[in-house]
Amino acid sequence: MTDNLLCWADYRVIRNAGEPVLFAVEDASLFALSEEAHETLCRWRRCEFIDLDEIPLPDQELLAGLRDARVLLPVSGEQQLLPRLEPGTVPLSTLVLEVAQDCNLRCTYCYAEAGTYGAAPCLLAPDTAREAVRYLLDQSGDREQVTLVFFGGEPLLNMQAVRAATREAISYGGELGKRVQFSLTTNGTLLNAGIVNFLHEHRVSVAVSLDGPRHVHDRNRPDALGNGSYDAVVSRLGMLLEDSPAPVAARVTLAPDQWHRVVEVFDHLVGLGFHEVGIAPVSPVTTALLPTPAEETALLSSFRVLARRFVDEAKKGRILPFANILDVLGRLHLGQTKSVSCGAGFGYLALDAKGSLFPCHRLAGEADFCVGNLTGGIDTDRINSCLGSLNRGRDQSCSGCWARTLCAGGCHYENNLRENQLGLPRGTSCGFIRGWLDLGIKTYAELRTDGAIEAMSRRLAQRAQC
Amino acid sequence: MKKNRPIQALNEKARAIQSLAEGEQATVEALQEGPPAMPVGCTTIFDTGWETNPRPTYPVGNCQSSAKDFHGCAGDCWWPAQVPDGLTNHEDFDKQCPNVARDWRVLKYD
Repeated sequence: MTDNLLCWADYRVIRNAGEPVLFAVEDASLFALSEEAHETLCRWRRCEFIDLDEIPLPDQELLAGLRDARVLLPVSGEQQLLPRLEPGTVPLSTLVLEVAQDCNLRCTYCYAEAGTYGAAPCLLAPDTAREAVRYLLDQSGDREQVTLVFFGGEPLLNMQAVRAATREAISYGGELGKRVQFSLTTNGTLLNAGIVNFLHEHRVSVAVSLDGPRHVHDRNRPDALGNGSYDAVVSRLGMLLEDSPAPVAARVTLAPDQWHRVVEVFDHLVGLGFHEVGIAPVSPVTTALLPTPAEETALLSSFRVLARRFVDEAKKGRILPFANILDVLGRLHLGQTKSVSCGAGFGYLALDAKGSLFPCHRLAGEADFCVGNLTGGIDTDRINSCLGSLNRGRDQSCSGCWARTLCAGGCHYENNLRENQLGLPRGTSCGFIRGWLDLGIKTYAELRTDGAIEAMSRRLAQRAQC
Repeated sequence: MKKNRPIQALNEKARAIQSLAEGEQATVEALQEGPPAMPVGCTTIFDTGWETNPRPTYPVGNCQSSAKDFHGCAGDCWWPAQVPDGLTNHEDFDKQCPNVARDWRVLKYD
């Protein structure tokens, strides 16, 4: 019977503590397989086409189970492709304001040329900030809640614009019946009681860039005179963390030769009282910051240690505040697939201090990626063409990768940096991404096997929908 | 969590896929010969004449084809027939006449 003629979907079997876990690529679904099911799968995998009517029991039952899991698909069925998104059709959900393209620090790895994004230092005018907020709300379609991010440079250098935008968001959002969530990323050195009161009053989610203990942080984040900034941040942290109505996160950036210190850095920051710690490997803004294979291995090993601790804590009913693993677990929990790698240009935009719009904050200031301004709005053709030229042919190069529906090609900025500016071949970060997702799947499977995921199920789902 | 199936859904997506497959399977089974004997749904074969009602609603186990028609053409199986139109004119008609074979006249439908 033609309807029973089946062929194999793309999948990957990952062993977690010896137990086979199947990840079906197109659906991002996860199944635990018995050894018998796995053995049957391996044996029949060599057949390109399978007619269930012709298969003897008990293999027939197991293969029917794989059909029900969509690991075997009807040959006659149409391939289900993820819907293609068009930039103009996605209502705006997040706008990043580069309120200050200027900074009082001179971080060694800064991708924004000391916060200026390659131009003369510049602050966002309060009027433009207000206009931007109205743009965000007007373009948000039927969303009841949107997010406004204050970014820089160092946003606390321009509290005037931050305050103006916040007030506008409350008043204009109120008129439209929409809620605006605020978020701010700061180096923390300019915090004072007045600013902290303001942040608390408006429940601003603050991320503080702090790279760990003094000796790690100060090497990465000196001020303009070359002095470390650790003490200036930590001495102000207490008032921010005390009774904060919104979570305060530590945002860590580490150079490859610091990647073996991840666990030490994490413990230090949790010890300082942060509600969450997210750790990012540095973008290779110079070739000196490109990692060696050994350094990549060290980073994954460190993340593996933290993932292990996450599982151990989860079994005791506690959540280790390791943002990286929480993010990936959230997406794996729901089985979210992506047809674009991130929201850049699709519901997510950044406004630079001069009023130009870019697909994301990291691409701000890159003339090739300017996609409009507040007066004329966004040019959707421009978004398609600039992201399209960056990603031309990437679908094909990703088509054989099992992680493609979770990654969808990776960060636009990072790809542009590596491929167009450093002239590296495609795929230099793929090994790490796959290693990380592999670890995420194993961690999820273990949490599920132990029943620990149920307790955090709601939190993970909410996180994935942010 | 115990492993009790050879292929066990772990994440929400996998659960949804397996549930969907189970639903599809039930539909196919319903149209097969042999037990379960009652069809599910309508229009593949007309409901008229089926002599038992598989649903826990009135008329339970009825053997009157006309009464069965009332329910066979109602709800998600609505079909324009000479029976009360439960979608527009006679919503919840079964509450008005729990015994269709006896009480159908109270509906005053044309």
